[in-house]
Amino acid sequence: MKVIADNIRKVAYCLFSLLVILFIYLSYIQVVESNFLATHPLNRRNAEAIHQIEYGMVVDKNGQKLAYSERDGDGFKRQYPYGAITAHVVGYDSETYGKTGIESTFNAYLTGKNNQLQHLGAISHLWTNQVGNNVVLTLDAKLQEVAYKSLGDHRGAVVVMSPRTGAILAMVSKPSFNPNTLNEQWNHISTATDSPLLNRSVQGLYPPGSIMKVMIADGALTEQVIDQKRTINSEGFLKVPPDYVLEEVNRKVYGKINIKEALTVSSNVFFGTLGLELGGKRLAKTFERYGFKRPVSPELQEAMSRLPDFNALGNGDLAQVGIGQSSLLVTPLRMAMLASSFANKGKIMKPYIVSTITDDKGSKVQEFAPEEWLTVTTPQLADTIKEMMVEVVSHGTGNAASLRGVQVAGKTGTAENPHGDSHAWFIGFAPADNPEVAIAVIVENGGGGGSIAAPIARQILEKALH
Amino acid sequence: MTNIRHHERILLFITGVIMLNGILAVSLTRGSVDYSVLGVTCGLMVAFMMVNIVLQKSGHTGDPLFLPVAALLVSIGLTTILRLKPNLFLAQSMWIGIGLIVFLFSVFISRRLEEVTHYKYVCGFIGVSLLLIAILFGVDIGGHKSWVIIGPMRFQPSEFAKVFIVLFLAAYLSERRELLTLATRHYGPFVLPHPRFIAPLIAVWSMAMMMFILQRDMGAALLYFGIAMVMTYMVSGRFSYVMIGLILFLIGSVICYKLYGHIQTRVDIWLNPWGDPSGKAYQIVQSLFAFGSGGIMGSGLTYGFPSMIPEVHTDFIFAAIGEEMGFVGAGAVIIIYMIMVYRAFRSALLATKPFSMLVAGGLAVSLALQIFLIIGGVTKFFPLTGITLPFISYGGSSIVANFILLGMLFTISEVRIYDGK
Repeated sequence: MKVIADNIRKVAYCLFSLLVILFIYLSYIQVVESNFLATHPLNRRNAEAIHQIEYGMVVDKNGQKLAYSERDGDGFKRQYPYGAITAHVVGYDSETYGKTGIESTFNAYLTGKNNQLQHLGAISHLWTNQVGNNVVLTLDAKLQEVAYKSLGDHRGAVVVMSPRTGAILAMVSKPSFNPNTLNEQWNHISTATDSPLLNRSVQGLYPPGSIMKVMIADGALTEQVIDQKRTINSEGFLKVPPDYVLEEVNRKVYGKINIKEALTVSSNVFFGTLGLELGGKRLAKTFERYGFKRPVSPELQEAMSRLPDFNALGNGDLAQVGIGQSSLLVTPLRMAMLASSFANKGKIMKPYIVSTITDDKGSKVQEFAPEEWLTVTTPQLADTIKEMMVEVVSHGTGNAASLRGVQVAGKTGTAENPHGDSHAWFIGFAPADNPEVAIAVIVENGGGGGSIAAPIARQILEKALH
Repeated sequence: MTNIRHHERILLFITGVIMLNGILAVSLTRGSVDYSVLGVTCGLMVAFMMVNIVLQKSGHTGDPLFLPVAALLVSIGLTTILRLKPNLFLAQSMWIGIGLIVFLFSVFISRRLEEVTHYKYVCGFIGVSLLLIAILFGVDIGGHKSWVIIGPMRFQPSEFAKVFIVLFLAAYLSERRELLTLATRHYGPFVLPHPRFIAPLIAVWSMAMMMFILQRDMGAALLYFGIAMVMTYMVSGRFSYVMIGLILFLIGSVICYKLYGHIQTRVDIWLNPWGDPSGKAYQIVQSLFAFGSGGIMGSGLTYGFPSMIPEVHTDFIFAAIGEEMGFVGAGAVIIIYMIMVYRAFRSALLATKPFSMLVAGGLAVSLALQIFLIIGGVTKFFPLTGITLPFISYGGSSIVANFILLGMLFTISEVRIYDGK
């Protein structure tokens, strides 16, 4: 009897340990391995759950709906009231072709999957219904519309931002597409030679041309290779040994000009000389100071700028970098940031496009505050450059951007490129004494920056400042 | 001794509230309460109370934890089945009702359990016959051939066979226990028992192998073999017997593995489910996804997607619990089973006669092994086997057989208190 009881006790201990091991193993699966299993690509649970959720809205800073969910049979379908106008910024959400823009980068918020309550299991259903959060953008839909229309039938991009906060107010890329009919038009959109799916404002890489001269001017003044008084004689061309000749536009002869005059007329000889005098090392330092080697604001999905290997450049290329050519490629967003650095006393604010996340009842879930990104130059030098840029618009190449009653600062660019006519650029900000908006406009193969891009910028600035 | 039944009533009341809560939670998320479902639920609560009153009237002093713990498991099972397959809810409730009646029969018949020793070969014969019926006439339903269909009825004989096999082994072993511990033969390092003693074990072993091969029912094979091995150990106290048994089983398994494709597949799936997650390993991978997605707190009842797992309401019901109630719910189920297994072993230790001691011990082992095999299977701790989760899985045979088992344990737990008075 007693022997059997002892044996049974031993058996009980063994089997009990097995159950305890099972309990521990279960906790391993459901706690440690939980994330791996829950987010495994073959686990269809998340996709299923999301289909049944009413996505939140994407609205502009004034509450205009840019994207919202509408019931469509079993699930929900996304609607984009502004269609092609906001197509690149807001993005699209297609079961077949995936997601882009805010629809992709803020998907977790729009679906409500960011909710911390999720981890509370059944209890979370007491608070959350199956509706996602709303994403409030810094974008101004009306300004966006004006920017979209003022680009006309050109290919190109516009970025408007607040230099003091970094908030993106408008971001247009053309040609565009209608996200409401994406699935029907996909074959056409995805194969079109003018790439309507490309968000040129952040993904388009262009040679900056003469708009880069404002940074070269600041670089040369900072590195003290020149002061504001020194003049350089432009005879219409600059011979760069051994065999390169840098010409002024139309081989125009400007004579002895100082840096302010040179920027106003956009003298290639003057800035080519600055490029040579700065040399590879100091050019590299200047570009680095302006953050061209650093990614900014991952949610904007910006393409990285292409910089030449400055130390390996020959004299001809150094002179070309001085006028924003050579193998330099930048995005319109970077150029808007460049303009805003002089508007904001030498500080670049981190560009951002989402200001707040609200729940379906409108109360704030999360807020994104403006953040300082880089200090690229001193307030004094920033003001100096600003004065030059004011001169560019009031008496120089950027005259077409001038507004009645408001001082506009700017710089035009006509960037040579291997794909045909020059790209027309304009960057600037206004009002010059108290900058509220900074802008970058590019018109692909549009021709002269002063004649094509500056008038477009003028229309947008006028709207932005009312 | 009314005190014990009073405690039992309070516990039953609490489990009743839990059951009602679960049923209401599932009903309310669907937007409307089905009054027939609610009525049946209340009916079951009343039925459990009535069983309690019958036990009190008859002055039964069995362990007051068995019935409430079973009621708790049954509640979790019913709630999950209502959520997974609402049209099976009434059938499952009916089986639970029948289970309760059978429980009472089992309780009172078991008071004369000692008499079974005279009919041990009858028990053995019934047990083996039930297994043979399943082996010979088994029909494949849901992946394993353990179903027998007689007219409109269909049942799983292997669920009932375990009760008879345990009774037979307990009687056979307790009668010969002196013989078993003393009469041994030495073959080199091995200590082998007398052939007369080992004969029934060989029989169970070959039966298990047959189930393994013919029925593809690896779970049942392991279960019966495990019960036989452990019960032999309980009597003899010789670990070498267990080792010999395990070696025999391993040899058998390896031969089966080499010869039969379906066993190879099962083991391969277990070793590397990610090799073919959308094909052969689909079920176990979906089960793992369910546990993972459930996480600690679960998705909440009706907010998960357990229907992505094939056979979720029978073999894989534990994965549904893990997904919707999380580790908190699934872990609680394991703890509830631990309480039941603990009380089962406790009643074995309280028993006054070797026979009832072995019966209770055997039943406790069968309960624990079954829980371990199926939960270990659906969590990929162990190769997957097709057996049910006691008191929770959908299925009449499983529910009724487990209530018979519970009734026997319940009465065995009484004896000591009777004698101690």
